[in-house]
Order: sequence, then structure tokens, then C-alpha cells
Amino acid sequence: MKTPRIGIIGIGQSAFKPRRDDANYPDLVREAVRLCMQDAKLDFDDIEAVVYSLSPDAMVGIGNAERLGIDAVGARNKRFLRINTGGSTGISSVAAAYYHIASGACDVVLTAGADKVGECGDSQTVLNKIWDPTYERPLPLGTISMLAMSAVRYMHKYGMTEIDMARVVVKNREHAALNPNAHLCKRTSIDEVMGSRYISWPIKLFDCCPQSSGGCAMVLASERYIRERNLDAVWITGVGHCSETYYIGDRMGTGYTADHADAFALGNSFKRAYRMAGITEPQKSVHVAELYAPFSNTEFHAIEGAGLAGLGESPAQTAEGRFSIGGAIPVNPSGGTLCTNAIAVTAMVRVAEAALQVSGRAGGHQVKGARVGIANGNGGDHQFFGTMVVEA
Amino acid sequence: MPYNAQAGVIGSATHAPITGGKRSLEEILYDVGQAALADAGLTFEDIDGIAVAANDQLDGRAISVMAASGSVGGVGRDILSTPSAGEHAFVLGILRVASGQYRTQLIVSWSPTDVGSIPDALRLGNDPYFHRRLPLDDFSSNALQAAALAGAVPEAHELALSIALRNRRNGARAYPESAKLSAQADAISKSRVTHWPVREAMIAPPVTGAVALVIASENYIKERRHDRVAWLKGMGWATEAAFLGDRDLTTAPALESARERAYEEAGITDPLDAFDVAEVSDATPYQELLAYEGLGLCTRAKWRERIGDFQPGGRLPVNLSGGATCINPVFCTGLMRIAAAADQVRGTARNYQAANVRTALAHAASGFAMQYQTVVVLGAEGPRSHA
Repeated sequence: MKTPRIGIIGIGQSAFKPRRDDANYPDLVREAVRLCMQDAKLDFDDIEAVVYSLSPDAMVGIGNAERLGIDAVGARNKRFLRINTGGSTGISSVAAAYYHIASGACDVVLTAGADKVGECGDSQTVLNKIWDPTYERPLPLGTISMLAMSAVRYMHKYGMTEIDMARVVVKNREHAALNPNAHLCKRTSIDEVMGSRYISWPIKLFDCCPQSSGGCAMVLASERYIRERNLDAVWITGVGHCSETYYIGDRMGTGYTADHADAFALGNSFKRAYRMAGITEPQKSVHVAELYAPFSNTEFHAIEGAGLAGLGESPAQTAEGRFSIGGAIPVNPSGGTLCTNAIAVTAMVRVAEAALQVSGRAGGHQVKGARVGIANGNGGDHQFFGTMVVEA
Repeated sequence: MPYNAQAGVIGSATHAPITGGKRSLEEILYDVGQAALADAGLTFEDIDGIAVAANDQLDGRAISVMAASGSVGGVGRDILSTPSAGEHAFVLGILRVASGQYRTQLIVSWSPTDVGSIPDALRLGNDPYFHRRLPLDDFSSNALQAAALAGAVPEAHELALSIALRNRRNGARAYPESAKLSAQADAISKSRVTHWPVREAMIAPPVTGAVALVIASENYIKERRHDRVAWLKGMGWATEAAFLGDRDLTTAPALESARERAYEEAGITDPLDAFDVAEVSDATPYQELLAYEGLGLCTRAKWRERIGDFQPGGRLPVNLSGGATCINPVFCTGLMRIAAAADQVRGTARNYQAANVRTALAHAASGFAMQYQTVVVLGAEGPRSHA
């Protein structure tokens, strides 16, 4: 069967901030939807279905908080469901919207959400509750300590240093300084990163993403709808998902199912998306990448999982500038998750930014000549990996 | 049918009530997934993708899908999760197979009862400023809707009693080993009022449960020569407004939207005679009554006249499984309705199997006062290319 083509015809995202006291949760969703609908030049009557993007309820302190956003996304009496795969929720929501259209059920679908991570009290206390209450929750596990263990393993296996990690921070902050929607947009230096306090060794304060508030929305449409109306679109040509184990312990020690250093499921997810897009050599085909990396060390996993560098090779290539704007394959020209993390929509922002890049609409952080972009999202305890290829 | 690939249910398992407390959540999910796969004659290796649905508040875990990763075969596989409703996992699975990009999907939803207070957990679904101080949860919002409905149609009280009695009797036949709740008219009508006008014996206490379904594409079904298939004929889903105060609780416009789409896809014009059986969401008997109208089975003016049609052996037997009136795993009761309808079409409904079921209707509703509405039409006739 020939895969029907599906395009992105509208994008809206907030200027992300540490707090949004001026907007309640539904207001923040509505803000992104309004921007998206203006971008798509559509009315709500044109929207046939809505996929709501929201990760843990506890982050906004409301159970099934998608219900409060129903009117903000204009979904009353329409087809509506919510996706939650943790940090990958945003890209999983775009994928779910994609399947609404790929199935033939709909022609035009909105996906939207928002988060107020900066206003949740303490996101790490919430995120400790993702683990099994009996075995792993009593440990001081948060997403930072979890990925610090991954960093230690990667250091041991491939020789990564803390300065390698700092280079990622400097690069992404440089990029974020060009992006008016980025939350952390102040340039920094290796010395400043190295001088910041440890949060969970070897991850220091500057190696960590911020807790951001803001929303994101996208409209997807069928090729038929796009052609009939002569609309501009960015085509989604590859979609993948793959999962790892729940228990962190199953990725460590002897007899592990996968090495915590290598993010094998992310690699598998990208392979699926590339296969669908017909990409066999990503280092030659991909022009720009928006890769989910909330901590500096995890960008190395993402680059290697995406096949943009061999295992253990990305720190050296980052130092050479290969992944900076102006380099061979710019990674996170928006500043990425390291500079902005409104968890419910962070992975949707990755798709949105990749789409803006390949359509030449990324503004100050535009990568020249980008025609093929990739995006991914990581969710759970580095467990769920969603990937996407977008093309002009 | 608008779908790019046709899809059908080829396996199902419903484990409810789960009692004894000796199995972990992972073991419960593993068992129900394996049972559905065994029913389909498949193993995990045959599964392309997984769609699950669970509720963080009831599970006591943030991102409750995480725990399912290993037990439903998600490691190394494509797994998506929806927490909005158990039945939404079915919708997702169908959309993925209908896209032509997946041959098979395993659908799993579950609902534990380990939480200290289910009403308190569900009350977190209210906004924290205006409504959370109210005792609003699924049970009380359903009762508010029941009261509103009875205000508009006073005979609803009497009809609700007869629906509860019929469902209880059906449940006693369907699950004699587990549906041990009272099926006596007096016991129901004289049971205490828990949330006016809903009486204790009109609903079943929450139980732990898990439901799994296996969906496959037409090509896969043809290749594997599956002969017990409940083909998707039509599917609609929709949501009501965010706040109860914005709704007229005596009506169900989202159900009408969902029904219109499902019936249009399935070519249903006369629902009362088009279906051989129906599984209708019955959070309370009042919700089932309202659904009769929303599903186009009969208008409220004819409820009294037509209620006998929905008895076993009647024109359209409803809830031969006994419905949630008998077994109530809160979050996955909607997916249970779909599984029960699929079982009827596949001829695997055991004690409650109706004769010669060719077309079945499943209605699932979730959230406060039936906020989310899903309508599924299943049939025994495959696509023409398969027939």
C-alpha cells in the first residue's frame, strides 16, 4: 500500500518562560492554538479532530487535565483524545494526529497542549512518582539522577568528559540566543558551565534544562486537502516509536536487556522513521536535527541514536563544530530542550522547529538550505522514543 | 468506510473482577495480554504496535503507561498511550491499523482499586479553584445527570429500576461465578440512595480489572485465515464541553456526534433493527437510558414503550454481559463494552452469547457525566475482497 502523504500546515508556539502568572493552564493552551490557527489560516469549523498533548497530570496538579483544555482547543462535540508518553508526549501526539489522517478518518487534525512546569512546585518530586512504588521509587530517582547514571556509563564506555558536556551547553545556548521563543537564551562559556554547582554528578546546574511554561500546537492535513487548497506544507515522511524497559535496573549490570549508554530503542525508532522516509544514510540526507536532550550528556545519545555519528563519536564531533549552526548537520538550532522544557509539548516543539527549518521560516536560527529535518522525543525513564522525518 | 485499510478484532480477554491481591500490576497486564494473544492464536512476536490506556490517579503512578512496557511486550516495540479513556486505546489501535502502516495492534487497558479512595482520586479531575471543593467525581456527576434527566422525564426513575434489574439478571447469567450482586427487584428499589437518585444496587462497586484486544488488518487476517473476526464497520468518538455547568446534562450531543459518524461509516439508517445485540455504557441506569436516545435506538418519548425491546430475546438485546451494573472496573468499563460486543460477533461470548449475531453495537462513555463518548459498530461480514 502506498503511504498517504500528510503535511503540517500550521504551527504555533509560546514564547516560553519560567512562569506565566498572566495565563492559567487552558489560557496557555489557547495561546498556542490561536497562533497555530492564524498560521494555518483556518477556522475551528475546519478542524475535524483534536489530539491533546499532556504528560503527567501531576505536573499541572489536575487529574485528566485534558478535560479542562477541551474548549481551549475547540474540541466540543468533536473527535478528541489525549496522548501521554511522558517527555515524548508531544511527538507521540503529532504521530497520533498523523494516524488520524493516514487512516483516512480525517483530513484536518489539530494537536495541541501546554505545560506549566515552572509552576508545579518541584518537577523532580513529581517525576519520582513515575517509578515503581515498591522497588525503585524509594531510591532518590528523578530524571536528573537517572540520566546522571547514563552519563557515568557513557563516560566509562566512550571517555566522555564534563568539558564535552559543557560544549553542548555552550553550543545550544548560542543557538537559543537566536530564538526569541527560547526560555534560557543567555550565552554562556565552558568556564561558567564548569563552575556551576553539581546537581547529580556529573550533571551540573548548567547541564540541566529549565522548567518552562508555554504551549505548542500544530495542524496536520491530508495531501488531498493541501493540494485542493494550494496550501504550503511541510511533509511528514517518516514516523517511528520504540520503547525500552521500565526498570532502570534492567539496563545495568550483567545480563541487561540494553546498555544504558546506548539508547538502543531510540536507534530502532529512528531506523523505522528513516526506513519509511527512504533514508539509508542519515549523515548525508539530514540537513537539520531537533533532538530531545534535556541534559547536555543526553544530546550525545540522541545524535548517535539518530545515526548522525557513530557510537561514542559525537563528543569529538561536537567539539569540531559539526553540530553547530554553520556546521555539517546543525543539532538543536532552536537551543533545544536544554534551553526550553515545557514537558507536555517539548517533543512537539522539536517537530515544529524541524518543520520551520525545512520551510525556511526559522528566523534568526535558520539553517541555510535545510530541506530534510529530523526530530525526536524521549519519555518515561528514557524509555519511550518517538521520531519523525519532515521534508519541504 | 473512509479507512485506507480495513481492520477487525481477532482476539480479546477480559479479566474482571481480579481478586485476591496476589498479583502485581505487571503480572495482571501480562496475563490479560497473553490471554488476548492466545485467543487470537498470536504471540508477542506477531504484534507490530501496542496502544494502552490507564489513569495516573487510579494507578498511583505518574505516566502509568511506563509500568506496562515490559508486561504487554512493549520493549523494542512501538507503544502509544492514552490516559483520556480506556476505549480511546481501541480508537488509536484502529487508526493505526487502518493507516495501512501496521498489521496488528495489541490494545490493553486496566483499572486497579489499590488507591485509598477512588472518589478522592477522581475528584482531582476538577479544576483546583472553582470545583474541587465540591464532592464532584464520576459517581456524583453521574448522579447529577441522573437527577437532571429525571427532572426532564420523571418516569426515568421507574425505567432506571427496570434497567438495573435487567442488567443484574443478565450479569448473573453471563458471569455466575463473579456477578453475585442482588438481582431482585425489591432489593434494588429499596437499596439505600448513595448519590440521589442513584441507589446502591443500581451500580456495582469498583473492582480491579484489565481488558485486552487484538486488532489486525484485512491482509493479515486473510493471510492467517482467521475465521472469528469482528470487523470494524464504523467508529465515532467525541467529547462534551469541559465544565458540567456548560452542559445541558439531559442531552448527550457528543454521543449524537459520535453516533452519526459511526452509523454513517457503517451505513446504518435504522439502528433498532440493524443490530443483533448492543453493549451500552451504563455508569448508572440513567446514563444507559439517555444513551438509548443518543444512539438513536428510541427517543425519550418512547422509552417506556420500547424498554421491553432491550430484554434478552427482544428486538435488540442490550447488555447481555450485564454491563457495568454488574462488573465495574472503573477506567476500563468502556473498553469492556467494546470487547463484549466483539465477543458476540466472534461467537466467543460464552454464557451470554446471543444466536446468529452478525452486527453489534458498542457504546463506551467515560469521565464526568459521560464526557467522552465512543460508538463502535462491529460486523461478521468482512470486506468484499475478503469475503
